[in-house]
Amino acid sequence: MFELCEEAIDVLSSRRADFGDIRVVRTRTQALGVRNGETGSVDDSETLGFGVRVLLGGAWGFASSGLLTRSEIRRVSLLAVEIARASAALMERRVRLAPEPAYRDFWQTPFMKDPFSIPIDAKFRTLFEADRLMRRDRRIKSATASMRFVREHQWHATTEGSRIEQVLLSSGADCRATAVEGAQVQERGWPCSHGGQTLAMGYELIDQLDLPGHAEKTAAEAVALLKAPDCPSGEMDLITYGNQMALQIHESVGHASELDRVLGYEESYAGSSFATTEKLGKFRYGSPIVNLVADATLPGGLATAGYDDDAVKAQRWHIVKDGVLSGYMTNREFAPRIGLNRSQGSCRADGFANIPITRICNLSLMPGSAGSLDDLVRDTRRGVIMENNKSWSIDQRRLNFQFGCEIGWLVENGKIKKMVRNPTYQGITPAFWGSCDAICGPEEWRLWGVANCGKGQPPQTAAMCHGSSPARFKKVKVGVKAG
Amino acid sequence: MKEHRKTCAEIFRLAGRVRAEVTISSSDSALTRFADNVISQNVAETSVSVSIKLTDKGRVFRVSLNQTGGAALADAVARALAALKLQKKEKGLLPPPAPKPLPSPAPGLYVPSTAALEPSFRAAKAADLARLCRPKGMKCYGTVENGASRLTVANNSGVFASHRETCALYSVTVRKGEGYGWAEQYSPDAAKIDYAGVNARAMEKAAASARPAAVPPGKYTVILEPAAAADLLLFLGYSGLGGRAWLDGRSFASGALGRRLMHPSITITDDALTGPAAGAPFDFEGMPREKVVLIEKGVARAVVHDRRTAAEAGARPTGHALPQPNPYGPLPQNLEMAAGDSSLGEMIRSTKRGILVTAFHYTNLLRPKPVEMTGMTRNGTFLVENGRVTKALKNLRFTQSVVEALGRVEALSREREVVYGWGRMCVPAMKIRDFNFSSSTGF
Repeated sequence: MFELCEEAIDVLSSRRADFGDIRVVRTRTQALGVRNGETGSVDDSETLGFGVRVLLGGAWGFASSGLLTRSEIRRVSLLAVEIARASAALMERRVRLAPEPAYRDFWQTPFMKDPFSIPIDAKFRTLFEADRLMRRDRRIKSATASMRFVREHQWHATTEGSRIEQVLLSSGADCRATAVEGAQVQERGWPCSHGGQTLAMGYELIDQLDLPGHAEKTAAEAVALLKAPDCPSGEMDLITYGNQMALQIHESVGHASELDRVLGYEESYAGSSFATTEKLGKFRYGSPIVNLVADATLPGGLATAGYDDDAVKAQRWHIVKDGVLSGYMTNREFAPRIGLNRSQGSCRADGFANIPITRICNLSLMPGSAGSLDDLVRDTRRGVIMENNKSWSIDQRRLNFQFGCEIGWLVENGKIKKMVRNPTYQGITPAFWGSCDAICGPEEWRLWGVANCGKGQPPQTAAMCHGSSPARFKKVKVGVKAG
Repeated sequence: MKEHRKTCAEIFRLAGRVRAEVTISSSDSALTRFADNVISQNVAETSVSVSIKLTDKGRVFRVSLNQTGGAALADAVARALAALKLQKKEKGLLPPPAPKPLPSPAPGLYVPSTAALEPSFRAAKAADLARLCRPKGMKCYGTVENGASRLTVANNSGVFASHRETCALYSVTVRKGEGYGWAEQYSPDAAKIDYAGVNARAMEKAAASARPAAVPPGKYTVILEPAAAADLLLFLGYSGLGGRAWLDGRSFASGALGRRLMHPSITITDDALTGPAAGAPFDFEGMPREKVVLIEKGVARAVVHDRRTAAEAGARPTGHALPQPNPYGPLPQNLEMAAGDSSLGEMIRSTKRGILVTAFHYTNLLRPKPVEMTGMTRNGTFLVENGRVTKALKNLRFTQSVVEALGRVEALSREREVVYGWGRMCVPAMKIRDFNFSSSTGF
């Protein structure tokens, strides 16, 4: 494949490009689902194509195609050059990339069971079994179970001499029950929402998740939520649990720390960030127990790879250290703007057809010293535990957020008193993280996948993980009502 | 179309006696993105996607690929045939449909000159705005997009439906200090986009909102410009006007067809054929799309159906299938809200105290049945007092049931805009009383 890549490198080098690269990507995806005893979705997909990026005269051009022939690579490379020349018509300063050594390497996601070698009927048997077990109560109007597997084989060649081959693998699954009675519609999913748990693992993840083993409890909780009281309204302690903390980290820290956003390059669409560069190293983002670490080397992480799509080697670094803003997600273009002489390596593209952009890496809240969840509950006088994200919204500077969760439990005097439905909470990012007074220990720490993070124009999807233990936040506005 | 037809014929040959349904989507698109008064991203993409669904004796399997060469198609069909044998038999699986006469697409959806626009055209449009912004101390951000696409849906029972269209979209955000303005226009014909008008609207709003003041959250009369109103309509359609949600009892219209649920001024139609939000005249099974009156003068009249939900509901299919099988069911994709007899200016003049909203940001659903949503205001939020816009406001978060809000509509504008996003929507500006803002932010 690298031989074909040389066609693009030759064209770009002959045009005296400041930098250029070609990424050839072959992606195999399998998405299987059942709904109410029938096949709900099925697609076994394979795509192949390439994208050519060129920095010419300090301006970017990019073009892509799904036709992998020498003549098409030449045509697309010349189109990328033409586009870069058009970009140069409106520039104020030349783009200069942070330096990075050239690498010749192969990297692949470690896994135990290749999901594509497991027969389709075995996968569907598991899904149908989970689906059947969820439909024992007539109030369950929709039961779904699904699995997804993605293998992305990349060949990345740069004019600087890097030749990097990577094979990235991920697996994911969930089951979900929707109960309906009168005006009430309640959903519960295992192990979490947003398409379920997805990690950079093989089929061993599906074995571990054991969908049939959790199906009945999932459905029973959806039914129980129909009659549960609404989450009370007011200010009280909040304990985040399940993948809710992943969404909290993702929206209020992950996106806020993307340096392209911070510098205004996403202003037209996703927005900017309050975490501006003059705050680096000074701004109190959270309480002193809050440590958030970006890590492209994290085992199981969906953003884990040997190299990012800027051909930068994987790294681990703090975004928030002891509560203080300490770093950003960067690419090679923007890293020098904050005085870094090397990118942190957080630049990725969605498949072959998109230009690499700054992306959230795996970003995790480090465990604290509050022990187990039971210990944390015992230490809480009045609060609500909220589990698994259901609804998410945050403003264009990543300050005002409002989340809804699948299920809540009211805590009073150190004990879980009752289930509550429609739990929501609202806050302002630094004040919220500043109110974090307890984080459970490493025994409760879990990694959660976010497989569908949207960003950019044209829109791109990326995947990453967020790890955390349950944490407590003081005096949070909960039970937001429509009025 | 010739290429699509050839690809379909090859797939049908490879499938032999097995029932085969093919969806081919191909496009050439380009986008120039600018930020901080410079071009920040400039991309072009040529793509094709082929999806092959095979059904045989109650079994179903789908494969997809982005290649159309003989070897790739043969490999994909062989993989699907092998997997098909392992699938469970299903009683409810519908056979591919027989062909039905298709309506003609709305005129003017494919404009060759829009398909052929070059990078220099897009760069020039971005440069025009940057030249206007720099001397005024403003910064501009946005996109200039153009593209052409073709969608073909066919099966080996005789269905062959193909549709092509072009798309031009110009979207602009302008910043002046703490003030933001935004405007956007979509058209199948890039020549019909009023680039200067879009620039002027965004710049005026940015200038007017440079020093925003805070108001406390609470219930206000709101005047929603079409982009903001479209956000409400999008969630109403997605969560409540599809046959699957309706059958499951998850829709606001479940058990409520024939009942008045909204203000009598509200009429919502899905119309892919003739209206301003028109698009492909067939669905993802190649069935003709029908115009469906969903809400008529505030009364819930219908939801959209595919063949499957129609059979379950004892209704007629309306031609709104998504690719099958899927867990979502049919959805409206060409929504249109009937115009009123007011105007944005008249709505402002008739308001004693209210909030004018340019657009919403990051909206999401909290509870499906009442279509309870949350989201932030963005890019120009203004206080209206005694019939005049008096000051810019810091942004607010709303938490509000859309069904209830549409019951409190006080006026709709005569002018409507086509908003491009999930499908296309044609929406007027709306004035709604007692709209709930639940919190605020500092900018």
